[in-house]
Amino acid sequence: MDFLKRFSRDKVGLFFGIVLVLIYLIALTAHWITPYDPLQTDLRKVFQPPSWEHWLGTDQFGRDMLSRVILATQITARVTGLAILFAVITGVPIGMFVGFVGGWLDGLVMRITDMLLIFPIIMLAIVLVVIIGPTENGVIFALGISQMPQFIRVARGVTLSVKEELYIEAAVAVGASREYILRRHVWPNISAPIIVQASLTLPVFVLNASALSYLGLGVQPPTPEWGQMLNESVAFIFNAPYLMIGPTIALFLFTLAANLVGDALQETINPKLKKRK
Amino acid sequence: MLRMIIYRLLLIIPVGLVLVSFLFALFHLIPGDPAQLMAGDNAPEELVQAIRQAYGFDQPVHIQYWNYLIRVLQGDLGVSTYSREPVIDVVWPRVINTAQLAGLAMLFAIVISLILGCISAMFWNHPVDKSVTVFSLVGICTPVFVSGLIAIYFFSVYLGWLPIGGKATWKHYILPVVTLGAYQAAMFTRMVRSCMVDALGRDFIVTARAKGVAERLVVFKHALRNALLPIITLFGLGLGHTLGGSVVTETIFNWPGLGRLMVDSILTRDLPVTQGAIQIFAAIFIAVNLIVDVLYAWVDPRIRYD
Repeated sequence: MDFLKRFSRDKVGLFFGIVLVLIYLIALTAHWITPYDPLQTDLRKVFQPPSWEHWLGTDQFGRDMLSRVILATQITARVTGLAILFAVITGVPIGMFVGFVGGWLDGLVMRITDMLLIFPIIMLAIVLVVIIGPTENGVIFALGISQMPQFIRVARGVTLSVKEELYIEAAVAVGASREYILRRHVWPNISAPIIVQASLTLPVFVLNASALSYLGLGVQPPTPEWGQMLNESVAFIFNAPYLMIGPTIALFLFTLAANLVGDALQETINPKLKKRK
Repeated sequence: MLRMIIYRLLLIIPVGLVLVSFLFALFHLIPGDPAQLMAGDNAPEELVQAIRQAYGFDQPVHIQYWNYLIRVLQGDLGVSTYSREPVIDVVWPRVINTAQLAGLAMLFAIVISLILGCISAMFWNHPVDKSVTVFSLVGICTPVFVSGLIAIYFFSVYLGWLPIGGKATWKHYILPVVTLGAYQAAMFTRMVRSCMVDALGRDFIVTARAKGVAERLVVFKHALRNALLPIITLFGLGLGHTLGGSVVTETIFNWPGLGRLMVDSILTRDLPVTQGAIQIFAAIFIAVNLIVDVLYAWVDPRIRYD
């Protein structure tokens, strides 16, 4: 509760936290709140500019853009959420383990993460999508694996410092198993920095998931995705520029809210950072 | 210094080897028969067989791996299945175009972010600082393909001042460079600002001010010089991001660079070109990383003998 109290003191963070919750509400209820069927084509209604019936207009197949933006919210929320989950589930145990064990294994894993961190996430994601295939699962794995090194590093770093604590020595002395110590003593200390890392990863994933779709390497049509919708709108930039409005605003809002909530979370957990602001 | 450079150069060998092996393994994991892919779906069996033999796909994996290593070392990246040209000839002109785009965008980003970051730190907590912070936040949250499309709509479609895409005259450079550069500038400005705020809060700044050093000198000579260390690492990391961002930027503005080549080759399933482009990209990233590390050691002598 103390945490929530401290978080809510940051007005900007609180406001965008609410925005983020609203975005996830839209994502969860997407199937019920879309005014039209997002996949239903209607050739009598192509390229209608924004109006009372179609707030964001209709696209080249007569599909309602607002409905498509709403459904795309769900796709993005699911893809990025699962990708983060994947990165945490794979990265954190590895990081905790090598941090705790140390030795050559630690050195090896660190060298590999060092190497992977040289490459920007979009490059890694592209390479991985080529291997796995441009599907929703492909994007989830590609993004997840590309940020796994970050989670390994964070988990390892905290484990290294926790390892020196007296209570770990005590646990070792009474004969606790390695798994028990990691689960019972290391994990509670790690969860806060992992949550911060996850929240900082969210906007990165949102941007990169749509960048992949923009390139045609992400979620495939007819499933709507913001990046892919923007890519399709390029062809009609002269006669139907309003097609860009919906995906642009949605993408911007989601990234902005995720960024600010991530910053606020980081400051709540680590108040020292606040002084810099 | 020399010892460190040599050590870092030697380190490239294992890194490169791991990388090339990784790529080899990855492209062996791609489902489908590579020979069938190169020949096309309706190709006669004899042609597929001939290609399989010519490229050595029928040999055991370890021999294929060895041959692949030797060929990569010789700079032979194979032949494009799409244009039938050697991959290296297809890739090379693209590398130069990408280097131009990324280089100019970096220059733009560095200049803008140093100016904005310093101003912001000097006016700490003042409305000027606040507006710079908001501005850079908006920049970070606007992906290149969004700002690029908005820029195209405004400057090319609505005003008709600048070309939509391609790379012919100097006018073609403006939108891609500024779009890619602005995104990086937004990232950098935040960091430069926080480094400068940090530096300006140190004791030696108080001393400098107390002995009557002009404010201009305090900021640019005392603070900036000390803030430069983290800033240089930041720019080095940023160069990698700029290259990553160039993939999307090139696609938006139809820029004939390496990134677009890579994406196009993936979409046309031109595997040798994809592989070649990724290898060149990887080599560039490793080189950039090396240069940044050396530069870092040059700026900060304390880390030379680590």
